[in-house]
Amino acid sequence: MTAVLDAPAPARPPLRRVRARWAWGLGTVVVVGWSLAGAGLFSGDVLNPAGRVQFGRFAGAALSPALDPAFLQVLAASVLVTVAYAVLGATLAVLLGALGAVLVARTTWGRRRLGWTLARGLLAVPRGLHEAVWGLLLVNVLGLDPWVGVLAIGLPYGAVTAKVFADLLDEVPRASHDALLAAGAGRVPAVLYGLLPPASGGLLSYSFYRLECAVRSAVVLGLIGAGGLGYQLSLSFSSLRWEQVWSCVYALAALCLLADVGGRAVRRRLAAPHTPGDRLARDRVLTAAVLTTLALVAWSWWYLAITPATLLTDRTRQQLTYVLGAAWPPDTDGDLVRSIGSRAVDTVQMSVIAIAVATAGAVLLAGAAARPAGRTGPGRRLTGALVRIGLLLLRAVPPPVWALVLLFVLLPGVLPGALALGVYTLGVLGRLAAEATEELDPRPRAALAALGAGPAAGWLYGVLPGATGPVLAFALYRWEVAVRDSVLVGLLGAGGLGALLASRVGAFDWAAVTSVLVAMVLLTLAVDLVGARARAALR
Amino acid sequence: MSSQPFVLPEVRRVRTHPLPEDVVSSPRAARSGGPASLLPPLTRRGFLAGAAAALTAAGLAACSRTSPVSAPSATGSSGSTGRLRIGAIPDQDPEVLQRLYGTVADSLSRALDLDVAYQPVTDYGAAVSLFRTGDLDLVWFGGLTGVQARLQTPGATPIAQRDIDEAFHSIFVVNAATGLPPSDDLTPLAGLRFTYGSETSTSGRLMPAYFLQQQGVDPQGFPGGPGFSGSHDATLGLVASGSYQAGVLNEQVWTTRTREGSVDPAVVRYARTPAFHDYHWLLGPAAADRLGADLPDRLIHYFTGLSADDAADKAVLDLFGAGSFITTKASNYDRIEEIGRQLGLVS
Repeated sequence: MTAVLDAPAPARPPLRRVRARWAWGLGTVVVVGWSLAGAGLFSGDVLNPAGRVQFGRFAGAALSPALDPAFLQVLAASVLVTVAYAVLGATLAVLLGALGAVLVARTTWGRRRLGWTLARGLLAVPRGLHEAVWGLLLVNVLGLDPWVGVLAIGLPYGAVTAKVFADLLDEVPRASHDALLAAGAGRVPAVLYGLLPPASGGLLSYSFYRLECAVRSAVVLGLIGAGGLGYQLSLSFSSLRWEQVWSCVYALAALCLLADVGGRAVRRRLAAPHTPGDRLARDRVLTAAVLTTLALVAWSWWYLAITPATLLTDRTRQQLTYVLGAAWPPDTDGDLVRSIGSRAVDTVQMSVIAIAVATAGAVLLAGAAARPAGRTGPGRRLTGALVRIGLLLLRAVPPPVWALVLLFVLLPGVLPGALALGVYTLGVLGRLAAEATEELDPRPRAALAALGAGPAAGWLYGVLPGATGPVLAFALYRWEVAVRDSVLVGLLGAGGLGALLASRVGAFDWAAVTSVLVAMVLLTLAVDLVGARARAALR
Repeated sequence: MSSQPFVLPEVRRVRTHPLPEDVVSSPRAARSGGPASLLPPLTRRGFLAGAAAALTAAGLAACSRTSPVSAPSATGSSGSTGRLRIGAIPDQDPEVLQRLYGTVADSLSRALDLDVAYQPVTDYGAAVSLFRTGDLDLVWFGGLTGVQARLQTPGATPIAQRDIDEAFHSIFVVNAATGLPPSDDLTPLAGLRFTYGSETSTSGRLMPAYFLQQQGVDPQGFPGGPGFSGSHDATLGLVASGSYQAGVLNEQVWTTRTREGSVDPAVVRYARTPAFHDYHWLLGPAAADRLGADLPDRLIHYFTGLSADDAADKAVLDLFGAGSFITTKASNYDRIEEIGRQLGLVS
């Protein structure tokens, strides 16, 4: 999610074809074709038209969510739990990120590349596992404790945050830092007074971005039994009470919207600070945001009644020993390894289809979803608002729900899971693409319009060339996220490594669980590397 | 284009990406101690001290509170007698569940004169782990999860089962478009797209797989491999849609849904499995140590004594969909354990 911060600047497009990009483009076409073939698209029926009645029931319930007072009361309490998880999880992530950043920053390691590479590699482990997987593992060690939700968000997010914080610290201008060192200051004061102040705007901005993401993750945790909104959603979902499912989805969408709007306001403010003249004054909006967040942290702590002592009890140690003892050494049985291999292929194909679908959709919708510059008619504004709400709902319905609903109208296989992920990712990517479009230089399009070009031509020649780069960069970044999210779809049976993990956890076969987890981390790492290479070719 | 004497129409100022200067200047806004601050003066030190104080206060307040999501502690408010922590897997409406907590805990508490806390658990895996860790003393397990829990928790004893659990059945259903007439022969199912329910469900997976195997159908076969819908209701929905042509679910759910009239006419009953044992209450070893050696007997007495004639008892029985509770024993689940091992679900 670094992408949001260092969104590739709209570079001047080179006026010649870059051969590397052609190679990547061709490779992409081949991989997408291979994935679609794997999903059985070219080898028979994939649609199940008879299931549209069931699908209609799901869609129709969107207009009649359950609103009886008893249910709403249950829902309200769950929303509080979800908010508390998100706030504490994000806070823990920022704290861990701040500590971790010191360990993985180039500034710390200097020219010792090996140490730096190893430290970065170490971060890949917590980052490679989805929050839901962390939750699943932590429930087995900590039992039903609010720490499960907080740690499951905080650990993987902490690893990502550490990486981003380290990058931010490494990238700020180093003049004052070097000056302090030259003047005889120690390394620690030099970093504290020379690097931290210029980086603090970026750090704060990213911290708020993490908080936004944590809300959605907190819901996912409920699905595996950690309480909150997701827990109510999974209960209603397992008995197919779609009216109740939609109530949960709307509550979640409202929460996401609140977090998005708040977080965006803070980030905008940081990018363009309002300072009264040249006086050094504290920004009231930012101070209020930070104080509110701190108050929320205190409230969440009180509400979830978290005690750090739980983490240090004898029982926790016993359970940790029990699980680790059963989980090591990993199972290397031939059948299991073969099965991991074929499931990993499924997972890759699922994620590729998901990203292809999401990218195509995002490119098509970005224009409509972007807030247009200047004055526009009410029709255009209404369309924009509707598309944005649609995208919000797409990402508010958790992927497992999409998977089951799509399985009504598609025949079983990789495709329903892949499309479920794709639809969910479209919700996220569509928003990012719209924001990227808003940030584009509006002049080319205005110039074309002034010359008499129609809206379609203006979009094709004025917007698309500039938007392609950032949108593809976001898509590649989301690919890695989709690989991790595919676990979630799999946990509820749509295939891939997630399905294998669910079955091994269900059988309490810890040694096999370790093997699957190792495979997941390696797969995420590989996808991350390929994605980074492709992004580099785009720059 | 800039060399042309052509004036572009006026457009909004280009929003540029933050330059390094912006990054440098932004902390000015966030930094503390500005001389002309409009807010009441708040020094960095004051801010940090205030934040630390607020968090400490929250932490201290948290100690005296029970979390809305955690398991209740073993020593309840009633002091020395301790507390019995019971758990069940919800498969009902959230608001029905809220009532279930109260009804069952109150009834048990009154009958046994114990402090009883009810803990809802969402999934069986978590319930098994919590039972092992001693977070839960008495849990309403399914056949397979009960076996898993007993294997991980030496000394656990089965307490009671419902009248219907002694001879529980599963129902194989098919989509009407398959045109299969009801039959006891399961072999025609082998060529259909088939879904089980949840992976560790006794009635939605384990026993049906066993009976399929008995008739020579590979339970892991089926075109494209078997699906796992996740729940009995999802199985019904998927078979109704025709995505899966056949499936299997718990007879209790089938009967309830048929009576409600909510089963899609496209779903047809195909076969009923022979009887097997399923759900039961399992008591952990630590509870008897804490609450008295006669606890198992008192619990058995309580459960078997629940009568449908008494209004309060009936509320409890209804919530579990039972006519009455009867005794059970560990050997009832030996067959489940054996099949679980074959299918790799018990290790």
